[in-house]
Amino acid sequence: MSGIADSVREVFPPPFPLPETVLGVAACVLFVGATFRASRHFWAAFALVSLGIAGLALVLTGVPSEGNVYATALVVDRLAILIKAFALAGGAVLVLTSWNQVSDRQAAEYHGCLLIIVAGLALTGSANELVTLFLALELISIPTYVLLYLPRFDSASQEAAMKYFLLSVFSSAMLLFGFSYLYGLGGTTNLPGLMDALAPRTEPPRLPGIGLVALVMVVAGLGFNITAVPFHYYAPDVYQGAPTAGVALLAFVPKAAGFVALLRVLGLVQVGHSPSPVSMGDQVSILFWILAAASMTLGNVLALLQHNLKRLLAYSSVAHGGYMLIGIAVAYHVNGAGGTPPLAPVVPGGVPAVLFYLAAYGAMTVGLFAGIAYLSTPERPVETEDDLAGLSESRPGVALLIAIFLFSLIGIPLTAGFWGKWMLFFGAMGIDDANARLFCWLALIGVINAAIGAWFYLRILAKMYLFPSVRPLQARQAWPGLAALWICAAITIALGIFPGLLVTPASDTTRTAGQQTGVPRSRKMDCIAGQIPPAMNVQRIRNEPATNVQSICNERAIHLQRTCNPSATNVQSILQRTCKPSCNESS
Amino acid sequence: MEQFVLFLLALPIVAAAAAALLGPQRADLVRQVSLFATLLTAMAAIIVAVKFALLRAQEPSASTISTFTPEFTTQVAVLDFPNSSGGGFQFFVGVDGLNIWLVVLTAVLMVPAVLISWHSIQERINEYYAWLLLLETGMLGVFLSFDIILFYIFFELTLVPLFFLIGIWGGPQRRYAARKFFIFTLAGSLITLLGVLGIVLACYNDSPKNELTFSIPRLVSIVNEQLHKYADDPARFDSQLGLWKTIQFWVFLALMTGFAVKVPLVPVHTWLPLAHTEAPTAGSVLLAGVLLKIGAYGFLRLCLPLAPDASLTLGAPLIGTLAVVGIIYGALCALAQDDIKKLVAYSSVSHLGFCMLGMFALNAVGLSGSLLQMINHGLSTGALFLLVGMLYDRYHTRLMDDYGGMGARLRLLSSFMVFFCLTSIGLPGLNGFVGELLVLMGIFDAEMTQGAWPALAVLAATGIVLGAWYLLTMLMRVFFGPVKEPHHEGDGPAADVNGRELAILIPVAVLCLALGVYPQPVLDAAKKDIGVITSLLDKASERQGAGSSQASATRRAAGINEAGEGVRTP
Repeated sequence: MSGIADSVREVFPPPFPLPETVLGVAACVLFVGATFRASRHFWAAFALVSLGIAGLALVLTGVPSEGNVYATALVVDRLAILIKAFALAGGAVLVLTSWNQVSDRQAAEYHGCLLIIVAGLALTGSANELVTLFLALELISIPTYVLLYLPRFDSASQEAAMKYFLLSVFSSAMLLFGFSYLYGLGGTTNLPGLMDALAPRTEPPRLPGIGLVALVMVVAGLGFNITAVPFHYYAPDVYQGAPTAGVALLAFVPKAAGFVALLRVLGLVQVGHSPSPVSMGDQVSILFWILAAASMTLGNVLALLQHNLKRLLAYSSVAHGGYMLIGIAVAYHVNGAGGTPPLAPVVPGGVPAVLFYLAAYGAMTVGLFAGIAYLSTPERPVETEDDLAGLSESRPGVALLIAIFLFSLIGIPLTAGFWGKWMLFFGAMGIDDANARLFCWLALIGVINAAIGAWFYLRILAKMYLFPSVRPLQARQAWPGLAALWICAAITIALGIFPGLLVTPASDTTRTAGQQTGVPRSRKMDCIAGQIPPAMNVQRIRNEPATNVQSICNERAIHLQRTCNPSATNVQSILQRTCKPSCNESS
Repeated sequence: MEQFVLFLLALPIVAAAAAALLGPQRADLVRQVSLFATLLTAMAAIIVAVKFALLRAQEPSASTISTFTPEFTTQVAVLDFPNSSGGGFQFFVGVDGLNIWLVVLTAVLMVPAVLISWHSIQERINEYYAWLLLLETGMLGVFLSFDIILFYIFFELTLVPLFFLIGIWGGPQRRYAARKFFIFTLAGSLITLLGVLGIVLACYNDSPKNELTFSIPRLVSIVNEQLHKYADDPARFDSQLGLWKTIQFWVFLALMTGFAVKVPLVPVHTWLPLAHTEAPTAGSVLLAGVLLKIGAYGFLRLCLPLAPDASLTLGAPLIGTLAVVGIIYGALCALAQDDIKKLVAYSSVSHLGFCMLGMFALNAVGLSGSLLQMINHGLSTGALFLLVGMLYDRYHTRLMDDYGGMGARLRLLSSFMVFFCLTSIGLPGLNGFVGELLVLMGIFDAEMTQGAWPALAVLAATGIVLGAWYLLTMLMRVFFGPVKEPHHEGDGPAADVNGRELAILIPVAVLCLALGVYPQPVLDAAKKDIGVITSLLDKASERQGAGSSQASATRRAAGINEAGEGVRTP
């Protein structure tokens, strides 16, 4: 097996996006094949197989590799691999969900678009350039317009597709605007290079005003994808009008892409040697604090008023986006906003929490939409809560699966949603600097929101289990829809019982490829460490500094080793970074 | 023995899965499986308890330990945090003196809960027993956990089965009751989660080796070692100890919110009468018998040892007052009820107030009394709910006005009713008496006779009188006087207690009597762990004394200086 992997990696050297290429080729086949054959079973199976091949390609090539990150447009680091895995798994579930939702005639085009969207999400994960990132995001957006429009031709669906199209284009424009400012500031579109250029030189670290404009524009553009609050207006209408399988996609893929793009653009995940996030001190984290609080509160409160299931879930997805934004706000503090080399975070708040929640949210929300799609038939659509009444008696199995998703959305233990919330709140409570109190309040807001949210999820649960059926549901449908439900439920429960399955890989993303958990101390590192005075402004270490000197030296040694790595060509930046710690210490 | 403890948790889950899979058609088989599983669990619990009591009896009583020492433990790491010392999140279960009797109570009360549902539940039988058995695992898990996150997980997991039990098989207002119960408890427990995270992080930030641990014994020892260290160190007395006191204040408040909803203390008790009344009989029995104890147990296991200073300064006055208000208010509400089940429900508010008052007397006598009172209340109120359920099964009404002189019709049932009312009132020789006596002794203990405590004790004692009043009034109206029998289905007079019901009632009655005559084994087994809590609290009160004396000393010194300068300046 390893032999095959090696030879594959020889033919396609590391940053080559092999899984995405496979998906792209498969999509081309689908688009062309659509003219020859009209069969939803055939094309869906084809899409599933190509996702499988892409998964195989990911397994073969998916080794975090340290290249010259200042020169490539794509990187394969741990985050990229994780996101590719999310994308492929999500894609498989979405193919299963929409298996019977599209007509035979449109199946090939539908699944072709779906594969391109999945490839776009996978590419977003490894984008290392503003341009690549933008292209990857557009690779998701453009086929989505088609997907929303294809399966149905009624006016509600058309309105939804049109609304999404216009606002999405608008948000892309804002994103580009922000990117152009970033380029103007940094003089490069390469993300690690940009991070170096923007690295704070003042204390307290502040960006120039123009950097703030760029940042706000980027956040606004990506805020549309993650339905953060002032940019969420399209969500309820689009969710309500669009076909269910499309909504399942809309709820997961753009949101995942938006969060990954945020992590990349803001430099919250280290690529190669990039030292620290774009650091504006408190400004950025306060911005996300406000976005998080507003999204959670507004989403949950407005969801209370909804009775249309998809509309309710639209607001719920706004709220869950808000929970994840807590993680982004926290990540700034965990990763050392002050320009200090970050201590390896102990509490998996911040980035790992966002990634974990993304997976949990994907499983439970896509699962829920898959459930609705599975139960709906053209004669008896499932639109409102009342349509689910008495489900536990007519379809006990499906009701149980939907109940699992709802409990996960509430955040009951033994489901993925619990650990997601747990990590986010833990991260917020774990901040140990001047803003500690502010983030305790954020955790409290989050907790209160979780309780408010429980009310409407519980309303659906009560409808399914406590009320008799109004109009019994009809004939059973084919297996693919049910398989999607089962996969999502299995992920939800597995992550709920063994959170370590994902917490560990998600925590690893915040480390660079070379960095290990327990760093073996080599003789050389000791020598380097010996030259570094142990005076640090490390807040966490208060008591008995003597015991901690060793670990601090370790950290510093890693940092030095990283900066001394000859693979970095940008001499200027190396010099700058090597000097910086000592400057900090002397000040 | 570890296997027995794990068996306690695993067996109900397995039985629940079996019951669910058997399907609604094989009703008898489902019932038998459930009964068998609960009987087996109860036996396992009793075996563990006996072994544990023997173990503690052999141990020399050491007074130096400063944290819980669970026995028969299982520790399995579930979630490691690679960059930290400390064990991470573990599956950590075991027994000690505080939880062992509550475990036995839970396991024992499950058997009547299964038996009482034998004929009264006729719909969706397999689901019913599956939820009931899952609830058992949840309740046992809360008591057995020694990992704070595991505790929280089980704490929340008890909500799910009860939501379905109340919502599907309850009375006419069941849907509203189920949702209200769920939301109240969830909202409270989420705030408890913040408290849990807060104390874990405080320990992480302050412990010498930055230890991220979730193990309750370890957290307790870290908190108290640090407090002790700062109290002895004048340089850090003000800053660090002050910081810890602030942390404790917030942690106590956050933990309290969830537990207070569960107990329930007065302003957040409104879910209780509704949920108790609407739940099916087994649900009410377990709600009153076990689930309310989870709140009180949370206070005992987490609030007192993890926030000793706050328990002393904030907890005692706050919880003391709320508890007394609950005692009086619950009793008065019970007095005003016409529905027997509602009366018993409100009596729970009153009795749990007693339990909390004893606990926050913060001395060994009060704590033992409180622990005993938890078990007593579980047995006697559980039995009262069982009896009300039996009455309802016969006549389908619970209104006192519909009944009269039932003693002449149902001799055995009314004898049991009188017996359990007397245990609930606290007749000497029955279990209620011992608990109430210890609680009152705890309150009147010399150290606490300051501030408002004597007044609280007097008010609490009136609660006992009120308790006698409403229960005896109920007995008089329903079981004595001229016969007034409501209409019931079937021909002939309603049958008295049958064999199944005797099998339900006799063991509970025997336990009540045994605890009333000879409660010593229970108290002995719990002595060591109650000693741990009291020693922590004693140190806290020393710190407080030291703090105030130091402050006054500084003030005095400052005053002298001022006076001296005042002399010099003119």
